[in-house]
Amino acid sequence: MIAQSRKEKTGGRTSLLLWNSLLLFTLVGGCSTEDIRPLQNLNSALDRSSDARRDPTLAQEWLATLSSRGGRERIELINLRNGTPVPTPGLNSADAQPVSISLSGDGERLALVQQREGRTELMLYRRSIGALQRLDINPPGVPRQVSLNGDGRTLAVQISRSGRWDVDIIRLP
Amino acid sequence: MRRLPPIARVAEYSLIAATVSLLMLGCSPNARRAPGASVDRQQQDPAISGNGNILAVIVEQRGRPTVELRDLRSGQRLPLRHLNRQQPHSSPSLSWNGRYLAVITQRGNRRMALVEDRVTGRAHPLRPPGNRDPVRVSLAPDGQRMAIQVSDRGRWRVEMLDLSSVLEPDRPGGLRVTTPQEGP
Repeated sequence: MIAQSRKEKTGGRTSLLLWNSLLLFTLVGGCSTEDIRPLQNLNSALDRSSDARRDPTLAQEWLATLSSRGGRERIELINLRNGTPVPTPGLNSADAQPVSISLSGDGERLALVQQREGRTELMLYRRSIGALQRLDINPPGVPRQVSLNGDGRTLAVQISRSGRWDVDIIRLP
Repeated sequence: MRRLPPIARVAEYSLIAATVSLLMLGCSPNARRAPGASVDRQQQDPAISGNGNILAVIVEQRGRPTVELRDLRSGQRLPLRHLNRQQPHSSPSLSWNGRYLAVITQRGNRRMALVEDRVTGRAHPLRPPGNRDPVRVSLAPDGQRMAIQVSDRGRWRVEMLDLSSVLEPDRPGGLRVTTPQEGP
């Protein structure tokens, strides 16, 4: 009888231990990060084509980054289907340093902030015609971060005016 | 005066229209201040949704950089379920309809990317492979991929992640597949 009582006690402890383990597993699982998969082929292609990359901006089929090669940083547009950079005539110039970039959802337009000859400029690049144009900021200010919407017709820009940061919403033709 | 053939006239009109369009673009974009700004309230690091209706910005809340969401049509602030803590926040990014908001948060002494699903109310914490701290993130318009900038042995790298097993697509038109989940 004593042996049976001990057996029941041991069984009860085992059951309690199992429930505790299950509870702990659930709690830890609830706080843990999700299972995400790196796109290995694409990441290898990105590593091969530059020394360093920063400031990524994604469109549906395109990625733009500021990429460094040979000590010089330039804007690079990458076709996500094959991981290869595509030509962007007129986008990068030797006397301009890109600061911030944003792609439209279709990858046709790219908004950027660049420093050139001591000035900080807000620019818009249109890929199909290879044209880079300066956008006026009214009232005047110094742009910093940009974000384009899907069709590239609405632009949000972080602008410094008199030492404070604002965000302007600009409608583009 | 000699009349131009019809095709040449069409080409001429197209050229004039393109020139006027370029001049307008260069001179006078239509700008306005984003809603939610005030004298003692600065806004930084904007991210606009693909449809252009929702804006995420970083504002100071009790001295802590915090992401805030606004409807650009009404100017109203939109509620966020999981992003009232884990500051400082940085680098917000929105999907097409603004269903998903990705942002870098702080958990303990580590930086971590978090995606809030505004339809189901779920939070998806994402850590880059190799357990590196994220610096900037960009979400694809449909929410199926993410680009993460990390520091790797003293140099910046960009890693592409596949989120299709975690998030359902947020495409133009805003078709919702799942039923909203009321509980956490």
